[in-house]
Amino acid sequence: MLRFDRRLIQHFDWIILLWLALIATMCLMNLYSAIYPDKPAGTPIYIKQLYYFIMGMGLVLAIISVDYRIFMSWNYPMYGAICLLLLSALIFGKTMSGAQRWINLGFFNLQPSEPAKLMLVITLASYYSRKDTGKGFTLKELGIPIALTLFPFLLILKQPDLGTALMLGFIFVSMTLFVKLKWQTLNILLGVCASLIPIAWKFILKPYQRQRIETFLNPEADPLKSGYHIMQSKIAVGSGLTFGKGYLAGTQGHLDFLPERHTDFAFSIWAEEFGFVGSALFLSIYFFLILWGLNSAVSSRDKFGTLLCIGVVSLIFWQAFINLAMVMGMLPVVGMPLPLFSYGGSSLITTMAGIGILISVRMRRYQVPS
Amino acid sequence: MPRIRRAVEKIHKIDEEELIILKKRVDIATAIIIVFIALLIARLWFLQIKKGEEYVKLSENNRIRIQQIQAPRGNILDRFGRVIITNRPYFNLVWTKEDAPNPDEVIKRLAQILNEDISNLLNCIREASGQPRYMPILLKEDIDWKTLVFIENHHFDLPGVRVEAVPSRDYLYGNMASHLIGYLGQISKEELEVLKNSKYQGGDPIGKMGIEKLFEKELRGEKGHRYLEVDVLGFEQKILQHQDPLPGNDLQLTIDIDLQLTAEKAMEGLGGAVVAMEVNTGKLLALASAPPLKLDEFIGGISTKVWQEHLNDPLHPLIDKTTQGQYPPGSTYKIITALAGLGEKIITPQTVFYCNGGLNIYNRRYGCWKTGGHGAISLQRALAESCDVYFYQVGQRVGVDRLAAYAESLGLGQKTGIELEHEKPGLTPTSAWKKKKKNEAWQDGETLSVAIGQGFNLATPLQICRMTAALVNGGKLYKPQIIETIKAPEGSTLDKVQPDLLGTVYGSAQDRNLIIKGLIDAVNTKHGTATSAKMPTITVGGKTGTAQVVRMAKFKSIPQSLLPRQYKDHAWFTCFAPAEKPEIAITVLVEHSGHGGSVAAPIAKQLLEEYFKEKTVEETNQ
Repeated sequence: MLRFDRRLIQHFDWIILLWLALIATMCLMNLYSAIYPDKPAGTPIYIKQLYYFIMGMGLVLAIISVDYRIFMSWNYPMYGAICLLLLSALIFGKTMSGAQRWINLGFFNLQPSEPAKLMLVITLASYYSRKDTGKGFTLKELGIPIALTLFPFLLILKQPDLGTALMLGFIFVSMTLFVKLKWQTLNILLGVCASLIPIAWKFILKPYQRQRIETFLNPEADPLKSGYHIMQSKIAVGSGLTFGKGYLAGTQGHLDFLPERHTDFAFSIWAEEFGFVGSALFLSIYFFLILWGLNSAVSSRDKFGTLLCIGVVSLIFWQAFINLAMVMGMLPVVGMPLPLFSYGGSSLITTMAGIGILISVRMRRYQVPS
Repeated sequence: MPRIRRAVEKIHKIDEEELIILKKRVDIATAIIIVFIALLIARLWFLQIKKGEEYVKLSENNRIRIQQIQAPRGNILDRFGRVIITNRPYFNLVWTKEDAPNPDEVIKRLAQILNEDISNLLNCIREASGQPRYMPILLKEDIDWKTLVFIENHHFDLPGVRVEAVPSRDYLYGNMASHLIGYLGQISKEELEVLKNSKYQGGDPIGKMGIEKLFEKELRGEKGHRYLEVDVLGFEQKILQHQDPLPGNDLQLTIDIDLQLTAEKAMEGLGGAVVAMEVNTGKLLALASAPPLKLDEFIGGISTKVWQEHLNDPLHPLIDKTTQGQYPPGSTYKIITALAGLGEKIITPQTVFYCNGGLNIYNRRYGCWKTGGHGAISLQRALAESCDVYFYQVGQRVGVDRLAAYAESLGLGQKTGIELEHEKPGLTPTSAWKKKKKNEAWQDGETLSVAIGQGFNLATPLQICRMTAALVNGGKLYKPQIIETIKAPEGSTLDKVQPDLLGTVYGSAQDRNLIIKGLIDAVNTKHGTATSAKMPTITVGGKTGTAQVVRMAKFKSIPQSLLPRQYKDHAWFTCFAPAEKPEIAITVLVEHSGHGGSVAAPIAKQLLEEYFKEKTVEETNQ
């Protein structure tokens, strides 16, 4: 069926695949340590995560086997489908720790807000690549992308999942700035945002979210309650010193002082056990993947590909930066996983789909569209 | 594939120029990302390298609990090695703030379980407010078995609450020698401040009085510790390090339990003191102050109300009368006047004075206790019958300052040096003293009062006992000794306290023997003042005394027995036995009880009986 092009194999991005394998190994190693020495009854999470990696690889293969440009025509049906999923999560979804995020698919609890991020990337890339960007966008021209972002944004905020909702905002802002705005538009948007902050503080943020931000600004005020997570995470990271406490020898993690250590605070475990050297190495490997994604953006032969890559990179980068900054006490606690490293199927598979797009764009850099 | 072709057709004709502009912007994005990475690495460096050591400390504090193990305190033994005070485990309820997520709930539940007012528990916590969060706070001492079992079973409902088995004092003889031995209490904030660099921590017991306080260093031993690794809920994971406590050293006192008990029993219901001393060493065989302290009132802190009651008690139970009670020595002082008279060659054994029941001198009459008078009297009989007039005559000739010199050589007017707190020196007046203290010249009449132990004279029962011992042991003044040996827990002797000779008494052995004869007569002749101390098989020598409490003329005519207690005189009796080769000196003081011969001497006799009974049993055993 698919007209096979030998150049596709020739130009396959082996580096990104190698890097993916490297990060996956570190992730599984770290998850093993996170639950060590507990012997849970069911499948241990590092095995589950391995399954998710395998599922993700399947998805990567599926994505690279089709020309990415096909997403240009699929984008609106996809957008509609994801929004429907988000709606149904709100209506029929499973409530876990106070938020309605999951849809039970029988074998897998799907978090539709995860694919929604990728869906927004594709939708915006497709929209912007169709529009002339030479002179920059006016406010009027931004109406449609804003509306396209705002709808899933509000649905996710309603769950409530502030972290993911914020990510949609970051993706929108990054991609929109990338395609250039008129100065006037930028100023107006900044003004609107500034005036929205107090309103958001008062009406949109839940009390616990406000508390988290207040705690972040003044962590010593209540070290035992809201500031606890951040403090324990900083202790874990800081006490790693230069070379760390050694693999499986971190005390903060294994004695339960670190909360959420297999999901959002996974990096704290790594930093405690491997120290500054290990952490810096980790960050180098991790961010090389992101910079390599930007390189894919440059390699693309068309605007859509470039914008897709920029979108995927901003998706991964912002999550990673916010997660790491939070874990190291530079930002308040928001539910934000470290892509490819935190435990969680929806996030992992979404991120791998994004990487599939990066590979796909790079593979097809010599294919001039007919 | 037609679908792809359709999609591709939708893409506008590629504007190469536009794509180049876009790709240039990728460089800007790269720069932004690199800045953010640099930020993260800088933060990592700050946390792990710059502040790393601080976080290591915090992480160690998180996981390591240092649990101190109290050392068993040393035992307190009597001179024969019989145990007076040892240890038994108390089960104490302690609470660690840090391990308790919601303290209010836990405290409320505890108050119910212990059936105690919640404010008491909160007070304990407030008291300890200054100490670190991980330090356990003592909530209740010595809980019973039922409570112990209940709390152990509800361990999980009471986070932060623990039962600690602590070796605590077991008083085998109750309040015996309580003034001497003292008691333990929880270390106070002030004491902690002083002992900052030691191993003490809040809630630790520490000696608060007496031997327990003075020999705290010997008795307390060395605390052990456990370094525990705990998880976030405070549950133990493993023991990282363990060191057993070292028990404290045993203290063997010079006290003889039997004599001490006899003394205390004899003094029951009375106020006063009994001191028994081995004459040739200065070792104290009994040191009893009546009434005794009730130790159970002091353990765990005495309440202000009880304290107030004791302060107002006419028997003054808080004062250790053996070393802190100062009384006019009364006629026991005549030993000094006699020694001075002989030593200064004022009198000889043959010197006779005439007593007609008083002495008219310095424009007034100084009465003898025997209003009918003793007639012509010499030294030996004057001592036996305690003739005041004889000693007025001697004292008047010797003068106050020479009397004082002899008194001081017998240890009066100065602390004896016993290792107990708050010892009082008594008072031996001199003319210089009066000039300095009252800015008045010495009156000749005052010398007469001093000569019979009244006036400004003050002495403690311990001083009088040591004086008696020095009289009969060849003139040697010893430091009163209470510690016999300090023993290591396994029994070996670490330190054997040697008698400490402080000085020798003025006057010759011949003079002392003359006085001893007089004292033997006081007990053993028909007209002696202390015949109630006479024993069938052992020869006792002794001197009675009456310390005047009020000198108002209107009371003089009333018999002592009819006076209200607080106006009655103090009764003294000091004695030694066996007279031929003295071993023991005993001094008894009974407050507000009348004459020495009738009240104090029988008590001394009970002790002598006890002491020599012991002796005969030992001899028959051999």
